[in-house]
Amino acid sequence: MIHVQNLIKHFGQTHAVNDITFEIPKGHIVGFLGPNGAGKTTTLRMITGYLPPSSGKITVADHNILTQQTQARRQIGYLPEHTPLYQEMRVNEYLHYRGKLMSMPRKDRIAQIASVHDKCGLSKIINRTIGQLSKGNKQRVGLAQALLHKPQVIILDEPGSGLDPSQITQVREMIRNLKGDHTVLLSSHILPEVEKITDRVIIIANGKIVADGTPTQLRKQVTKGASIILETNAPHDKIQKMLHNLNEIQSITTTQTSDQWTRAIITPTQDSQNIDLRQTIGNLALQNQWLIREIRHETASLEQFFVNVTQTQIHPQG
Amino acid sequence: MLKQNKTCTIAARELTSLFYSPIAYIILALFSLGLTLIFFRYTLYIGGPADMRFTFTWVIWLLMSLAPALTMRLLSEELATGTIETLMTAPVSDTQVIIGKWLGTLIFTTILMLIPIAALTVVLEYASSPHWGPILTGTIGLFLVASLFLAIGIFASAITKNQIIAWIFTLFLITFLSLAMQELAAADFLHPKIAIAISYINLNRHFQPFTIGIINTASIVYFITGTAFFLFLATLTLQSKRWR
Repeated sequence: MIHVQNLIKHFGQTHAVNDITFEIPKGHIVGFLGPNGAGKTTTLRMITGYLPPSSGKITVADHNILTQQTQARRQIGYLPEHTPLYQEMRVNEYLHYRGKLMSMPRKDRIAQIASVHDKCGLSKIINRTIGQLSKGNKQRVGLAQALLHKPQVIILDEPGSGLDPSQITQVREMIRNLKGDHTVLLSSHILPEVEKITDRVIIIANGKIVADGTPTQLRKQVTKGASIILETNAPHDKIQKMLHNLNEIQSITTTQTSDQWTRAIITPTQDSQNIDLRQTIGNLALQNQWLIREIRHETASLEQFFVNVTQTQIHPQG
Repeated sequence: MLKQNKTCTIAARELTSLFYSPIAYIILALFSLGLTLIFFRYTLYIGGPADMRFTFTWVIWLLMSLAPALTMRLLSEELATGTIETLMTAPVSDTQVIIGKWLGTLIFTTILMLIPIAALTVVLEYASSPHWGPILTGTIGLFLVASLFLAIGIFASAITKNQIIAWIFTLFLITFLSLAMQELAAADFLHPKIAIAISYINLNRHFQPFTIGIINTASIVYFITGTAFFLFLATLTLQSKRWR
């Protein structure tokens, strides 16, 4: 549904987007993730046709965004960052205005406004002035505007920014309900927000894609090769000795906790990254009758992974 | 057909948003007040000609200061708040955006001018028997001047997201086309032929005949091409925003 090929955008000397290629099939919800200034907004702006790329090709619903502008734009619903809306207009009025711009006939407009009215929960605010609405309600209007003309593709730039946790949950729920009918590409710099609603996450940093996969795949990538932390009541010299006999382990560092237990950080060798060492260690502990109160992978969270991949891109030496 | 519709949609939105904003009412009040004062000072006196030629001559200065205030927010505000992004990613062309906004403001300005002019004409009719011709041509002339001023204004507004800069730049361009050209044409260091050429750029010179009942084709062409030129510049400026 969305094809992006060798996309490059530079502003003067800075390369905001540096050779990005990806493809999003119909009906998927994809999260576009990266730290601030990674090139998310620039990429989204190019997909919506607001900015022309320096080079590369974008097609949306089989229409080239540059050569078949009108057809392509009709298939895109777009909610820019910070939800820009005309403050002086009423919600109802604004939706009619957007509908007219999309050249929807009056009958269609009324039917579609009723439809987004339910989807986005506008019942209490439909006749209010946009400028007086809360941030969360503005976000509803922005989303309604993006859905209004039944676009095949919906692009949301940081839909959760500036909202409180309960509003974020509501917006997330609305986005999740779009699945199937629409292809959704949403950007964020908050990982957990994206992880919960998307089928796939594309992480970019410094204008380049650094990771791409389902949240589960990314999680696997995270735990792969990670050190294991073990806390046990066995004395540390014993642990060193026992574990050194295992081929899969490259190094062990042990420290003593305040209550005389041993905390070991165990790094697996390169070859054994695909084996779950926790089972082996667990077995060993069972044989030796050690007590274990903690055993886990060191970087278990996707967040750490996110920080790692984006950091290494920004500071390649460090 | 559809193309025209979207221009009208944008024009209608601009017009309604003007009626929502306090600025529009302040301008309407100032314009009516100014026009009435000018009318009583320059037209309504015993022995004066029963048309509004002097009123019209002065009204143009009023329009000069008020038109930029109407146009300054047209694009600057959209650029500052980011609403331009939803507008320019909708299936509308940049030309439709510019013409729509200009048209909406022009309709408002026409209403703004017609209300006091109509009222004062009634006063004139009551006081004497006015010549309808010059009043009509003068109104047409004012309409043409307004369309040019607003086109200049929307061009200035497309340049910057700062409304104050847009306002000052519009004022500068209008002054350049009227006062500056008028004074330059009168300067004695210029070759007479150059002075004549310069005087053709002066918009007051083109407006003057309208106030005494003369419709000059050259002047109509001047205003229409001037308007088209600045609308074109505005469209180019808006387009160039994408390439930055």
